[in-house]
Amino acid sequence: MDSFSSHSSMGSGSPQMSSEDFKDQLKNQLAQAYAQEFLETVRDKCFAKCITKPGSSLSGSESSCISRCVERYIEATGIISRALFNAPR
Amino acid sequence: MDPSSLNSAELERFLNQEKERAMVNEMVAKLTSACWDKCITSSPGSKFSSSESSCLTNCAQRYMDMSLIIMKRFQSMN
Repeated sequence: MDSFSSHSSMGSGSPQMSSEDFKDQLKNQLAQAYAQEFLETVRDKCFAKCITKPGSSLSGSESSCISRCVERYIEATGIISRALFNAPR
Repeated sequence: MDPSSLNSAELERFLNQEKERAMVNEMVAKLTSACWDKCITSSPGSKFSSSESSCLTNCAQRYMDMSLIIMKRFQSMN
C-alpha cells in the first residue's frame, strides 16, 4: 500500500508527519543525547574523585562522596552557564 | 489544510535554532569539565567553598577572554 500521498511536501520517500511532531521528536532526541553525554561525564569525574582505591564493595564514604559529587557537578554546570551568559566584561 | 507540510524556511529556522542550542550546550559541558578539573581539587563537599565557586566563575570568564585573544591573534596573522 502506498503510504506516500501526493501532497507530501518533503519529497519522495518521506513519511507523513506533522511539523510539530517532527520538531518534538528532534528535540527529544537531542535532549536524550545531551543527557547521556552528561551522565557519562559525571560518571568519569566522580569515579576519579571518589573511588581512589577500589575495594570489594562500595564503602559508605565512597557512596556519600558520589552523591555529593553528582550534586556539585550539576551545581558547577549552573555556575559555568551563568558565568558565560551574565557577566561579560 | 495540509497537516504534514514542513516548509523549508520554517524547517531551516528550526534546525538553525536547535543547532545553536546544541553548540551552546557543548560549550557549557566542555567548560564545566575543564573548570571542574582545575577548581575542584579535593573531595566534593556538601557545598562549594567560596573559593571553589569563584574559581569556577573565573575559569569560564578567563576562557572567554583567552578565546578572544586567540581569535584576534589569529586574524592579525593573515
